[in-house]
Amino acid sequence: MAPVWTLRNLGRRPLRTALSLAGIAVASAMLLDMVMLSGGIERSFERLLLGRGFQVRVSPKGALPFDAEASIADADQVVARLRGDPDIAAAGPVLGGALYARTADSLATLFGYGIDPAAQSLYQVLSGRDLAPGDTLGILLSAPAAARLGAAPGDTLRIVGGLDPGIATAAVERRLVVRGMVRWLYDYRGQPSVGVLLPVMQRLVHAPDRVSLVAVRVREDAAVPGVVARLRATEPRLEVNSVAQLVVHFRERLVYFRQLSYILGTVSLIVTVLLVATLLTITVSERLGEIATLRAVGVPRARIVRQVLAEGLALTSIGTVIGIGLGIATARRLDAILTSFPGLPAALSFFVPEPRSLALAGAILLVAGSVAGLYPAWLAARAPIAATLRAEAT
Amino acid sequence: MSLLVARDLRKDYPMAGEQVHAVKGVSLAIERGEYVAIAGPSGCGKSTLLHLLGGIDAPSEGWVELEGVRLGALADRALTRLRLTRIGFVFQRFHLLPVLTARENVELPMAEAGVPARERRARALELLGYVGLGHRAGHRATQLSGGEMQRVAIARALANRPALLLADEPTGELDAATGHEVLELFRRLNADGATLVVVTHDEKLAAEAGRVVRMLDGSVVAPR
Repeated sequence: MAPVWTLRNLGRRPLRTALSLAGIAVASAMLLDMVMLSGGIERSFERLLLGRGFQVRVSPKGALPFDAEASIADADQVVARLRGDPDIAAAGPVLGGALYARTADSLATLFGYGIDPAAQSLYQVLSGRDLAPGDTLGILLSAPAAARLGAAPGDTLRIVGGLDPGIATAAVERRLVVRGMVRWLYDYRGQPSVGVLLPVMQRLVHAPDRVSLVAVRVREDAAVPGVVARLRATEPRLEVNSVAQLVVHFRERLVYFRQLSYILGTVSLIVTVLLVATLLTITVSERLGEIATLRAVGVPRARIVRQVLAEGLALTSIGTVIGIGLGIATARRLDAILTSFPGLPAALSFFVPEPRSLALAGAILLVAGSVAGLYPAWLAARAPIAATLRAEAT
Repeated sequence: MSLLVARDLRKDYPMAGEQVHAVKGVSLAIERGEYVAIAGPSGCGKSTLLHLLGGIDAPSEGWVELEGVRLGALADRALTRLRLTRIGFVFQRFHLLPVLTARENVELPMAEAGVPARERRARALELLGYVGLGHRAGHRATQLSGGEMQRVAIARALANRPALLLADEPTGELDAATGHEVLELFRRLNADGATLVVVTHDEKLAAEAGRVVRMLDGSVVAPR
């Protein structure tokens, strides 16, 4: 009987309840988004880095991967040493840099990756085929690069590297055949990227025996800290970080996101509590006569308290369910906006809807709903029966 | 032993900065099966006296015993339980829960008393039939007329088979015709053995009672 009574009570003033539910849903959505934001980007970053199973990144001293234009010298020796480590299953060198494609009347700016297809951590082949070892005439394109150049697998492109806008004659040009279309995992939205074999890239950008970073796959996850410590000792001129350490660096850089999410999450929680408390207080005040009658006919104080709390909880629960849908929709929209900023990998998510974060937000809201019901429940419980009935009668 | 005994009841409460002496030393005994009307003009303290007799207000002085149990000695929980199981209340403004049906309103006190669902449903329908509203059992309180609401309130008051039925101006919100229906119902209830105490300023209703206790300015003037 009680659940029916609770739900029907909420329907007594449909418009007021609907407005309150809308308010709770918006506040819940905001809280949910903030919970997702507070840890989502880190988890997304970690998943992105571990996407192809490479747990360690080796970069130039003092720089994080692709953080600066610095590069690692004597790359062949470094990679050979890494591959010689018994705990290391694969070491994939990468050289990043600006490339250009010659079109009919101009040069299209591209971002170029020099890669080793046998140990690559950067892309997934979508169509066509991957570069084969020794395929110095092949090139891989991202969809934005293909769109900009109007190219498809099988087409030949004229790729220019080492181009200084001031002295165009210093450029190196190669004719390369498009082998496949790929998705570069760390590209920002719309980034026109191409991939060639590492030696080809090194020649195009005049960086012989240099790489931007080396991605390392350790055989056992448990061995990662040991490998990182060993590499730091044996390669003092390099920056060696596990993905976990990179996530920490990332977290330090984005600490303001976390602070923002805490502040906005707290505000939305306070709004929820105030909304529920206000609605229930008004409702209880309107129903004091009814409550006094119930008390008079023998309904215990505890039952009245439970009833008011149940109404607060029901209101919050319904609002939260609506809010979860709204929050996920809002998160998707915000994610699309934030990840469209240049320089941010499009595959990165700021808002990660995980069951744990949904459950956490839901639990926080339900507790808030219960807390919000305490004051009106106390008001209802302490209403003096006779005085209230007297006041009702006059 | 009398069903209900009240001795030297006084009730004072503050109102607008002044002490109101609503009940001044009233003593009363109600026997089982009696139909007593407490009559008097508005503001004479009859509703306050009813509240004291029903244990929904505490006297400033004096005491009330129901079936030998002194109400003032009971803790809030025990007193609430006693009201639930031994006293039935009917109010002027019915105070049914508008979101519940007539049957659910009648079931409510039984649900609180722990009566199993099937049993209370059957009892509620039986009581609604008794008050002539069997056909309105599924209607919400808001869909009922004033007279029907008051009859549902009477059925609710009878739900847990109380020893005493207290009614505060039960016809106060009703027109003459529906008031007469309620009056008839009380007569039938009493004939079936119920003990009734009805507060009223309606002389017709008072005349129906077996005994009329007249109050004036907080005191019983006749008969004692």
